[in-house]
Amino acid sequence: MTIEPPTYHLLHAQSKPNTIHPNAGLRRRETMIGLLFLSPWLLGFVLLKLLPIIYTLGYSFTNFSMMNPNGTAFIGLENYIRFVTDLTAWTKLFGSLGYFLTTVPLQLLVALGLAAMLSSHRVRLKPVWRLVIFVPSIIPAAAIYSVWLGFVNPSSGWLDRLILTPLGMPPLAQGNGGVPLLATVMALWSIGPGFLIMYGAMLGVPNDLYEAARIDGAGPLMRFLNITVPIISPAIFFSLVINLMGAFGGSMLLDRGYTFSEGSSISPMTGYINQIMFLQSDMGYASALAWVMFGVTMTITIILFRWAQRWVYFPEGNRNEIS
Amino acid sequence: MKFLKRRQNLGESVLTFRLWRFTGSAILNLFIFILLTAYLAPLSYMFATSLKSPEQVSAGVMAPLYPATYLTYAYQDVKYSVMEVPTANGVQQWALVNKYRTYSEFVDPQNPDGGLIHWNGNWRTLKKVYVFSLAFEAFKQWQQANLPLGLLNTLIVITITEIGVLATSIAVAYGFSRFRIPGGRWLFFLLIATILIPDSITMVPTYITYANILHVWLPQQSYLDFSFPVPWNWLPLIAPHFFSSALFVFLLRQNFLSIPRDLDEAAMLDGAGPLRILIQIIMPQSIPVITTVAMLHFFYIWNEFRISSLYLGTNMDLWLLAPRLQRGGTMSFNLSPEPGIQAGALVLMIVPVLVLLVLQRFFMTDMVVTGLEK
Repeated sequence: MTIEPPTYHLLHAQSKPNTIHPNAGLRRRETMIGLLFLSPWLLGFVLLKLLPIIYTLGYSFTNFSMMNPNGTAFIGLENYIRFVTDLTAWTKLFGSLGYFLTTVPLQLLVALGLAAMLSSHRVRLKPVWRLVIFVPSIIPAAAIYSVWLGFVNPSSGWLDRLILTPLGMPPLAQGNGGVPLLATVMALWSIGPGFLIMYGAMLGVPNDLYEAARIDGAGPLMRFLNITVPIISPAIFFSLVINLMGAFGGSMLLDRGYTFSEGSSISPMTGYINQIMFLQSDMGYASALAWVMFGVTMTITIILFRWAQRWVYFPEGNRNEIS
Repeated sequence: MKFLKRRQNLGESVLTFRLWRFTGSAILNLFIFILLTAYLAPLSYMFATSLKSPEQVSAGVMAPLYPATYLTYAYQDVKYSVMEVPTANGVQQWALVNKYRTYSEFVDPQNPDGGLIHWNGNWRTLKKVYVFSLAFEAFKQWQQANLPLGLLNTLIVITITEIGVLATSIAVAYGFSRFRIPGGRWLFFLLIATILIPDSITMVPTYITYANILHVWLPQQSYLDFSFPVPWNWLPLIAPHFFSSALFVFLLRQNFLSIPRDLDEAAMLDGAGPLRILIQIIMPQSIPVITTVAMLHFFYIWNEFRISSLYLGTNMDLWLLAPRLQRGGTMSFNLSPEPGIQAGALVLMIVPVLVLLVLQRFFMTDMVVTGLEK
């Protein structure tokens, strides 16, 4: 039984927001202290996120170019009209969406499955397996590309020489045949942090809950779905957010050393934007594309967060809020 | 299982039951072993390639998959490579002396006094004879890359940003977990949403801002100026970490929420202020999660490449370790950069793996992110 602090009663006692309550000052003090603690993030949000986003919106209506910054002029919606008719941009955008739709569920399910398997008391050598699953998450991107090329390279790749040719199967097709494989390897080799966090959460589930369910006749799957998943749901949510970061082409939790050039980003749209920005120096059009990308990712984010509110369980019993 | 349990209850065959359990565990462990071996299989490519010579990599399909070097044979003081030559008497290993379009002349290393052997056929179709041999050329890029300076740079940046990111993230997480702020949940939603904003959208204005700041403050900068805490060119690398990291805030907040409020309420009644509660009550109970956050940040900076490549450009003196190892690999080999890239990646991974091995118990698994209160 917890003892409610004095402020709690007073805060709940306030019913109407506009009436001056005798203890409104106390509440305002709590808010002010809280905001003081939040201030590093609030300042960073304005300086590093909000202002740049607004600036980018401004650039997207101009023909701003790094080559000729003095010739910048307002050109209205021209950049957006160019986007609508730019077939490459649409291809890249759908490529990004496809990448997102395939890798995010794959990563989440594989990490969750591995965590469930490794949290069994029957498994030996757990520290080794944990390390094995995490280590690929810190391999630099350049090395992974090189590994991927070495595997899928037609005729001289390891896949052909070790598996396909000995089995008498036709060799890999020339060209981009290996891209889905690269995406899969990249995705699966990034599950480390998400896996560890879900695994840790699973170890924290009290054993008596499982015992009680077992007595009630619940099988392993029922116990997993009805006890494990709800309790570790914040960890699942966190893992989902990490996977989304990677899929949207933002900064990753663990920097793999992507550079800003075309083809260096796993998300095709991000690669395309980088190409226009750095190779063609067309900041105006790049900004417009970035805003399109921003709109798409934020829409997906809002949909996913609304969905998450239904199944992510947070302490304090308030299920209506995302916090 | 039910069947077995019933039998166990009858006391008939405890042994059968144990055997069943043992087999089940063995199968599970074997399955995990196979699964994770497959998961790490591509790593073998990294090791193999890093130990190959550039000549072997560019030889492609004509060279074996393992690190190897081709055999040579000195005939009359000139070295010739040994080839696998198909003849009427089976495949012979002969040294190729004279190359012609339709025929070639070989010498048999077993019998050099036998003179040149005439062989009809195109020598280009023949494979060289390879023997297992490790090439450490790729690991010798240390000299060009000046790794000690890179390590020093990395450690300086890690130390500074670690302090910044930990202090601010803990403070923000505390603010979110213990104070009632009007609209607090929307602010938290905003915090999570900012994680997912693509980098491309903030890149141009941020780049221009930093360029202006650096230009105004340092019209003529010296690249190795350690007089002020850090060279100002590292500003873009360091500054963002002093505004807390949204992901870390999420992790820390979740953990703070699972700490019962009883203790901080008791301390509050004793007259402790919010900062004191944070430092003396919340933080000691959150050591696993704080360790985890510190390590995640360490790994992040250790591999940092994006910001460096954007802002440090050719100021080689300021480069951190990761770009040195990666770029070093591509610069020092004309034939094929692959061994260099893989060797750099492997060297770069040594420290994080060691850190993980030592601190494994504290890393992520002791930090429990659940919806339960402790």
